[in-house]
Formats: sequence, structure tokens, C-alpha cells
Amino acid sequence: MPATLTEAEAPPRLEPGRGGFVTLPPESEGDRGGPDGGDPRLAQRYRLAVWIGMGGIVMFFAALTSAMIVREGLSGDWQPFALPPVLYASTAILLASSWTVERARTGLREGRTGPLRRWVNVSAALGLAFLACQLLGWQALAERGIYLASNPANSFYYLLTAAHGAHLAGGVAALGYVWARLRGRGAWPTREAAVEATALYWHFLDVLWIYILGLLLIWR
Amino acid sequence: MTEVQVSPEVAEYTEVHRHPEPKSFVWKYIFSIDHKVIGIQYILLALVAVFVGMGLSLLVRLRLVWPDQSIPLLGQLFPVGAPDGVMTPEFYLAMLTMHGTVMVFMVLTTAPQGGFGNYFLPIQIGAADMAFPRLNMLSFWTTFVSFLLLMAAFFVEGGAPMTGWTGYPPLSAVPEATVQGIGQDLWIASIATFCIASLLGALNFIVTTLDLRAKGLTMMRLPLTCWTWFVTAILGLLAFGVLLAAGVLLLMDRNVGTSFFVPAGLVVSDKVIDHSGGSPILWQHLFWFFGHPEVYIAILPGMGVTSHVLATFARRTVFGYKAMVLAVLAIGILGFVVWGHHMFVSGMSPYSAFVFSVLTMCIGVPSAIKTFNWIGTMWGGKIRFTSPMLYSIGFVSLFVSGGLSGIFLGQPTIDLFFHDTYFVVAHFHLIMGVAAIFGMFAGLTFWFPKMFGRFMDERLSKIHFWVTFTGVYAVFGPMHFLGLLPHPRRYAEITGVDYLGTTGAADLHMFITVAAVLTILVQFLFLYNFAGSLLRGAVCKEDNPWEATTLEWAIPSPPPHDNFGGKVPHVYRGAYDFSLSGAKRDFAMQCNNDKAVFPAPPAAGD
Repeated sequence: MPATLTEAEAPPRLEPGRGGFVTLPPESEGDRGGPDGGDPRLAQRYRLAVWIGMGGIVMFFAALTSAMIVREGLSGDWQPFALPPVLYASTAILLASSWTVERARTGLREGRTGPLRRWVNVSAALGLAFLACQLLGWQALAERGIYLASNPANSFYYLLTAAHGAHLAGGVAALGYVWARLRGRGAWPTREAAVEATALYWHFLDVLWIYILGLLLIWR
Repeated sequence: MTEVQVSPEVAEYTEVHRHPEPKSFVWKYIFSIDHKVIGIQYILLALVAVFVGMGLSLLVRLRLVWPDQSIPLLGQLFPVGAPDGVMTPEFYLAMLTMHGTVMVFMVLTTAPQGGFGNYFLPIQIGAADMAFPRLNMLSFWTTFVSFLLLMAAFFVEGGAPMTGWTGYPPLSAVPEATVQGIGQDLWIASIATFCIASLLGALNFIVTTLDLRAKGLTMMRLPLTCWTWFVTAILGLLAFGVLLAAGVLLLMDRNVGTSFFVPAGLVVSDKVIDHSGGSPILWQHLFWFFGHPEVYIAILPGMGVTSHVLATFARRTVFGYKAMVLAVLAIGILGFVVWGHHMFVSGMSPYSAFVFSVLTMCIGVPSAIKTFNWIGTMWGGKIRFTSPMLYSIGFVSLFVSGGLSGIFLGQPTIDLFFHDTYFVVAHFHLIMGVAAIFGMFAGLTFWFPKMFGRFMDERLSKIHFWVTFTGVYAVFGPMHFLGLLPHPRRYAEITGVDYLGTTGAADLHMFITVAAVLTILVQFLFLYNFAGSLLRGAVCKEDNPWEATTLEWAIPSPPPHDNFGGKVPHVYRGAYDFSLSGAKRDFAMQCNNDKAVFPAPPAAGD
């Protein structure tokens, strides 16, 4: 049987908050629907996605953290070592890159594509510089005979920096995507969404690195 | 865009524009970004996987009762594992491991969420697609790669892994322990890839539910299917990252020489293994921190479908909608704090065991709420015994049966006895395996006309239901008694073990195997019904053949490319408005705001 209501008169639209059979929610709670492209709230959706994605990434690093703490207390074979000094340089670079990402966002808000593009490029360059510093850190440790498998303390150092580096490489790729979007006609997703989501993710990587650095300093 | 006939219940329209319908075969059916095509891809993947997993369980059952029997073709396929078609004990363990892995990951995790969730979540919330269609495509194809990696493990030197679906080290972490090569590595790689795919999918589901709901569709008006997909996605988001981390550590232990999970001084085949100071228990914690939420990832969507179908065919609003939502949330939250009950015998402190036990018992409360509400939904209803309804009632039955044995296992003192026996096998197969699969049967028969525009053969479905329902009880019911002996699980051979022969365990095993073979045979009837109905099933001309209330029934069967024909539906009421007094019809769809036809105030619901 066809599901229709054609036999009914066109019903009056119910007013919000009037009681009766149904209560319409306030308009603000309403239309979340909307396709990609041209949606003014696309940036909001992308930022939401980044916030939720952070949840998954945090759980990944929480698992590694708990494994590290448990492993350290497990047996007497944990040998602490001094962190390579280049890590402080990489930390400074990453903090600076968060500032440049903010400059890019300012450019976006003011609608000035010149500064926006410039600061996106600078941020990506700083991201690559950070990754280079991390590699130098590995090299410095290897020169001291501190290899991945020689001690669990080393293993976690390499693992945490590599996992963070992989996520940061994703951030650099996202900046590259933004850069490509800004060159072409940024129709989908809108430039705003790309910039805002990438900026949020980048700050998250910054905080994540501070956390990892603290962990390596405290639990080494 | 072509004009599509949309039923008048899609009330208010706004033109939208989105990705155009692809024309070429590859972009339309292979690398599609349409959530409906991706949903069907997930379902087909799970269908292939479920038959692989079922075939493996058949081998396991045959090996248990006829250990010396030569099986045709098996010798040609696996000359090492089954020379002349006779399965070695190692081969038995490998089949057992692969059965568990294929079923848990590739079937129970993919079809209910990636399959039905992908297809119906956007439609039920009135959206044109998932929030991120390209990410959705990436999730599916990553899952597909994961499946290929797992299947490849059968055909590498040393064969498939034999460490169980839980992959406990040191067996899984020390290559010498199982004399296995790359099979175990492929297993880990497959699981890690699967984790990434599931994380991407979970992200998409959560954003879609939060951000794409139609106007008027508040969270407390969501169909319970959407609630369960939403909570399942949250569980997946928080659980799969932990398994991914554990998998990376295990892979490093195997291949790089680290010592996360391998203890010092481990001797394998008279040789001291060169590892120091790790702990297999660490793996167990990480694995079960994922593993227990995974149980709910498998079962929650089945609960949603059951609630949905029971209301539709009992013609009653879901009894205690809010309680149902809260129960799903409670199960989701509690699911993260009970992982220790898998490890009662790992030497944990009795105080820890007590805490895990109490928390585990707490899950009984929301589970009981759900069960009572399902019965309450059916109570006094005008029940229509269609095949989806039967499968849903079967789900409730299996959920109760499997849940009751969980109360035994959740208590440390009793679990000391039952741990690693067939009692556990019976418990988790009933509640996680078969119940979830009945949820899928319910979903498939219920939504088949919407997805494919044809009905499944009702008579064949009912035969399939009754044989399968009886069959799974015949298979898993006696296993409780085996567990009471206590008969240990994972043993390849039971013949020649005296106490098993004298206690009648061998006869029970024979009975179980015969029941399993019959149950497996009738699954081919289901396959025939599925494939045959796709081609020749009775055509479904109506939008809403079941007289259901949710948005997917307000659009043509099958739905147009963008679901609502370029329109955006509005929602005016809760998801389960059935049995409305004084109404011309006994139900009102969610997008129906007709006060004249339905003057009565709502009895329940929103």
C-alpha cells in the first residue's frame, strides 16, 4: 500500500513550543543537513572532524604511554639516556610554526590571500624543518650507540617520535593540500574549511609534541 | 539532475547540489563515493568473509570428530598443513585462528556498521551522503586491503598463524615458537590496516550523525539504529587506536628485536630466545582494552536493528525509547572498564578482579533494560510475523541465552573453572557471533526491498530462520555441558583422551558437528535466496512496504543517487509513532506533520 497522506488536507505547520502533537525544536537546532560545497558551515564540520579525530589519535598515544610506563616498571633492564639537544630546537620550530599557522588564519579571516599563502608556505617549511630535526635527533642517538632495539627506553623514544612524526607528515601534506587549493579555484572543500581544519590539527600536533617531550623527560 | 518522484511525506524542500551521479562503471560501482554503493560493497565483502569463516569452522568441526579423515581437495590446497587431505594439529589451530579473525573483524565489524550503517545512517537522518564521501571510500578500500592481507596468510610459507584471534605473545611474538614465517606478520599487518580503516569510518559516522541531521531531527528523535551506529562509532574511535598501538609493538617484537611482550629467559625448543624483560600480560591489557569494546561494536548495531524491526512489526512504539538510548550509552561506557574480566587467570590481584567483576555485572543492568523493553515493545502488539521480525525475536532469544552465561563467567571464582573451556566458546558465540549475525539477517531481510527494489523470498527466509535458529542452539547449547566437564577449548584432538571418552564428550562433539554441518548447509539456502531475489525477487513498487516510520521509507525503492531527489526532508516527530488512536493509519512517518490525521497526543516516544 502506497504510503501517502494525499487524503488529508494540507496541514497547518506546527509552531515551535506550542505543545500539541509534536514540538518543533528551535530553528537553531535545526538544519544540520547540507551537502558539500557552498555550505557556509563546512569549516565547522571539518573542525568537528578534526576534534573527533583527535580522540582516536589521543587513544593511540595513550596506549603507547601506558605501555611505556608499565614496561619501565616491569623489569630492571630500563636504561635512561639523555635526550639529544636538537629536540629543543625542534620544539622551538614547532611552536613557531603554530604561530605562523595563526598568521595564516588571520590572513584568511581578513580575506587577504597574499599573507594567507605566504604563511601557509612558511608553516609547511617549518614542519619539514621539524621533521629534519627529529631525524638529526635519531642520528645523534645512533652515534651514541642508542639503537631502536637495544633497550626498551630507546624503543619507546624511537616509537613515540616516529609516530608523532608520521602524524606531523600528515599535517605537512594537509598544508600542501591547502597550498594547492589556494592556487586553484578552491571550490571543494572551501578554502576556509581546509585552512581552519589544518590549523586546528597543527596546533594539536604541537600540544601532542609537548606532551611526548614531557613524557620522555619524566619517564626516561 | 533528473527529477525523481519523492513521496509527499518528505515535507519541505530545499534544493541542494552535491556530487553528480557518476556515469562510468568504475566510478559508479568500484571507486564509488556514494554511501549506498559503499554500504553494499561492505556487505558483499562481509558475505564473502562469512562464507570463508564458515568454511573454516566446518574444517575445525570435522577435525575434532574425524581427525584421520582425508578431505578431498584440501590436500591440493594446503599440501603442508593437510598432507593427503588429513589436517595436522597445527593446521587445525591455524583454521581456528583464521576463523576467529575473519569472523570478528571482517564480518561482525564490517557488515552491521560499514554495511548497513553506511547505507542507512545518511538516509535515516535525511542527508544526501556521509559527511566525507571520499574518506568513506578510503575506509572501504583500506578494509578491502586488510582482507586481502589476511587471506594472503593462508598461502605463504609456514601457513596461516595459529595463535588464536587474540594473538597472545610470546607465541605470536617469537617466530621460533610456531616455526612460522610471514603468516603471523601478515595477520598483524592486516589487523593494523583494519584499525586504520575502522578509525576513518568511525570519524565519518560520528561527524555525519552530529552534523548532517535533517531539520527537526533532534538526537532524541533519532531511530535507535542511528543511535547504535553512533555509539558503535565512538567505541571504534576510542578502541581501534589502542589495538593499532599494540599491533605496532607486536610487529616490532617479531621483526626488529624489541622486547615489549617477550619475557627474559624464554626457552623455545631448547634455545634461549634473545629478548629481555617484556610481559605477555601487557599485550593482554592492550588487546582486551580494545577487545571488550569490540564485542559491543559487533552487537550494538544488531540491537538497533532489533529495536527498529520489533517496533515496526509489533506496530508499537519502542517501549521506553529514552531508556533504550541511555542503555546503549551505558553499555558503551561500561564496555571500556571491564576488559580485565578476560584476564582473571592472568595472575591479577584479587582486588582488581573484584572491581572488574562488579563492573562487568553492572553491564547486566542496561542489557536487562534492553531485553525488557524489547519484550515490552512486543507486548500487546499486533505482531506481523515476517522474516525480519522472526530474526529479531531470534536475536532477543540468543542475546538472553548468551548473556546469562556471561553472568557466570563474570565472576572470578567461577571463571577460574570455566576459563578456556567450551563454556566460554558457547557464551561468546551465542551473544557476539550468532546474535549479531541474526541482527544482520533481520537487517538484510528488512531493508532488502529498499536497497534492491525487490523482496527476498519470504518462504525461504522462514525455512532458513527456523533451521538456523534450531541449529545454532543445537551447536552451542551442548558446548555449555562440555565446558562443565571442563573440556578445554583449542585442543585439536579429543579422541584417545580418556575422560572425554568416558564422560560422553565425544558423543556431544559428534552431535555438535552434525548440527553444525546442517546449519552450514542451510546457509547456502540463504545465499540462494539472496542471489535469486536480487535477480528474480518480487518487485517492490512501494516506498514503504512495511508501513514503517523512518525516513528511508519515504523515498523510492531503491533510493535515487542523492537519496531525496535534491530535496531536504524535515522531521516532525519521534522515530516510532505506531498504534496511533483515532488515526486513519496506525503509524505516522517522521516527516509527517499532519495534525488533522493524527489528533491524539503521543503516548510515548519523544
